[in-house]
Amino acid sequence: MADLIARNLSVEAGKATLVRDASFRLARGELVALLGPNGAGKTSLLRASLGLEKRASGDALLDGTDSEKLSPMQRARRVAYLPQQRPLAWPNTVRDVVALGRFAYGAAPGRLSAEDADAVERAIKLCDLGSFVDRQADTLSGGELARVHCARAFAAGAPLLIADEPVAALDPRHQFRIMDMIRGFVDEGGGALVVLHDIALAARYADRMIWMKDAQIVADGPPAETLSEERMADIYGVRAKVSGNSVEIEGAI
Amino acid sequence: MSERFLVPGLVAASVVAIFAACLLGSTPLAADRVLAAFLGGADVGDRLVVWQIRLPRAIAAFVTGAALGISGAALQGLLRNPLAEPGVLGVSASASLLATFSLYYGLAALSPWILPLSAIAGALAATALIALAAIRTRSVVTLILIGVGLSSFSGAAMSLLMNLAPNPFSLSDMINWMLGSVANRSFQELGLAAPFLLAGTIILLVSRRGLSALTLGEEAASGVGLNLRNQRILTVLGAGLATGGSVGLAGAIGFVGIVAPHIIRPFVKHDPARSLIPSALLAGLILVMADIGVRLMPTTNELKLGVVAALIGAPAFVWIAMRRRTLNG
Repeated sequence: MADLIARNLSVEAGKATLVRDASFRLARGELVALLGPNGAGKTSLLRASLGLEKRASGDALLDGTDSEKLSPMQRARRVAYLPQQRPLAWPNTVRDVVALGRFAYGAAPGRLSAEDADAVERAIKLCDLGSFVDRQADTLSGGELARVHCARAFAAGAPLLIADEPVAALDPRHQFRIMDMIRGFVDEGGGALVVLHDIALAARYADRMIWMKDAQIVADGPPAETLSEERMADIYGVRAKVSGNSVEIEGAI
Repeated sequence: MSERFLVPGLVAASVVAIFAACLLGSTPLAADRVLAAFLGGADVGDRLVVWQIRLPRAIAAFVTGAALGISGAALQGLLRNPLAEPGVLGVSASASLLATFSLYYGLAALSPWILPLSAIAGALAATALIALAAIRTRSVVTLILIGVGLSSFSGAAMSLLMNLAPNPFSLSDMINWMLGSVANRSFQELGLAAPFLLAGTIILLVSRRGLSALTLGEEAASGVGLNLRNQRILTVLGAGLATGGSVGLAGAIGFVGIVAPHIIRPFVKHDPARSLIPSALLAGLILVMADIGVRLMPTTNELKLGVVAALIGAPAFVWIAMRRRTLNG
C-alpha cells in the first residue's frame, strides 16, 4: 500500500504562515486536484508534505514513514515530483533528460541498466516522444517540453506522482494530452496529486478536489460535492456558472 | 560514436604533447636521445635535461591544467552555468593571495607543505563563499560579480604585499604566483601538490553523477533523489582541493577551466558528469602546448604561462558570454 498522509501540517516563513493545520491523504488509484488562488500555499503544502520544506508543526507519512526522515533517494522511489519551475541548464537530448528520472536507482544518462533503459523507453512511448528522443531539449516547444518532463517523472516508476502546475502555459490540446497521461498513470494503479488553475479541467479529470485559501484547506471531496458557485466566489472571488462538472467563469466579483 | 574515441584520443594527444615538450626547448633533443634518456641510457647531460627540467615541467603543466579543467567542469555543473570557473569565480586569485602571503612572511620556509596548504586554504574559503552565495541567490551573474570582487580584493592585497616587498627576490617570487608559471618545477614540488590534486580529483569524480541531476534545477534534482547539501559540499571541497593544489604548484592560471569544458560539452551530449574526465585531459593538453609555446618564444624574459593562458582564454570567455542566450539568468 503506497500512500501519502499529511496530518496537521503548518509551514511558516518568518512571521507569515504559508500553510496552517492542513491534512489530506493521497492514495493509489486516485487523481486529486489541488486548487486555490496564487499564494494560497499549495506549493508550500506539497513541498512540506514531501519533506523538502521545513514544517512548523504536523507530520507527513509516505508509506508510513515520516517523509522528512527518508533519504532523497528513498523518497524519489516512492513519489515522483514535478516542480513548478522546470529549468534545464544544458541542451541535453530528450532521452537523457528522461533518463534523469532513474537517478534514484543509481542510473546516469549514458549509464542505464537494462531495467532503467526499459523504464525510460516505456515513459518515452507513454508520452509520445518517440519522434524526437535525440533532439536537444532547448529546441522543443513548450508543449513538447512539458511532455518530456512528464516522461521524466513517469520513468521513475514511483507509485505516486505530485505535479505542481504541469499544464501551466500550455495550449488546450496539450493541457488535455498531459492530463490524459496523468489519468493513464492513475488508471494503472498510480496516485496523482496535481496543482491546477483550470477549474474545468480539474473537474473533468479529478476524482477529488482539495480547495485551499489563505493557507488553509477549506474543502476536500469529489467535484460533485465540492464544486459550486458559492465555492468559486469564496475561493477565487469570481462569478461562475456551475452545472454538474462544467464551470463557466463570468467575471471577477 | 565520437564520444567513444574522445578519452583515448585525448590521452594519446597528451602523451605525445608531453613527449614533444621533452624534445623541444633552447637545445632541441632528437627523439632517440629523449627515449634513451627515459630508459636510463644516453649521456648524463641528456638525462639531466629530460628528468630534471623538461619532464617535471611538462607534467606540472599537465596536472595544473587537468586540475583546473576538472574543477571548471564540476563548478559549471554545480552552478549550472558555462561561465563558472576557478579563475572567474575568484578561487584561483584567493588561493594565490594566501600562497603569496605565506611567502611574504617567510612561513613557506618553515615547511614545504605550508605553500600548497595556504593555497588550498584560500581556494576552499573562496569556493565555500561562492557556494554559500549560490544557495541564497539564483542569479549566476551575482556569483560572477562576487568572483570579480574576490579577484579584485586578492589583486589589491597582493599589490600591497608587493609594494611592501623587502627585496627584489621576494618581489619576483610573488609575481610568479600571481601570473602563474611552471618554470623550474621539480618532481619534489609535484609530489607536494599530488596528494591534494589527487584527493580533489577523486572527490569530484565520485560525486559527479549528481551534477547530471542538477541539470533539472535544484528543486527537481532533489525530487529525483539528489542530496543537494552533500553534493554542494563535495563539489566545493573537490574543486577547492584541486584548484588549491594547482595554484600551490603553478600559481594562478585562469580561463583554462572555462575553455576546455566548453569545447568538450558537445561531444558528451552536454552531460556535466560525463564532461569531467575529457575536460581535465583537454585542459592539461592545452597547458602543455601553451607551455611549449612559452619556452619556444624568442623573448629575452620568458613569458609567464598564466599570461599566455589569459591571452587566449579571456577572449574565449567573452565570446562564450556573448553567445549565451539568457535561459535562466
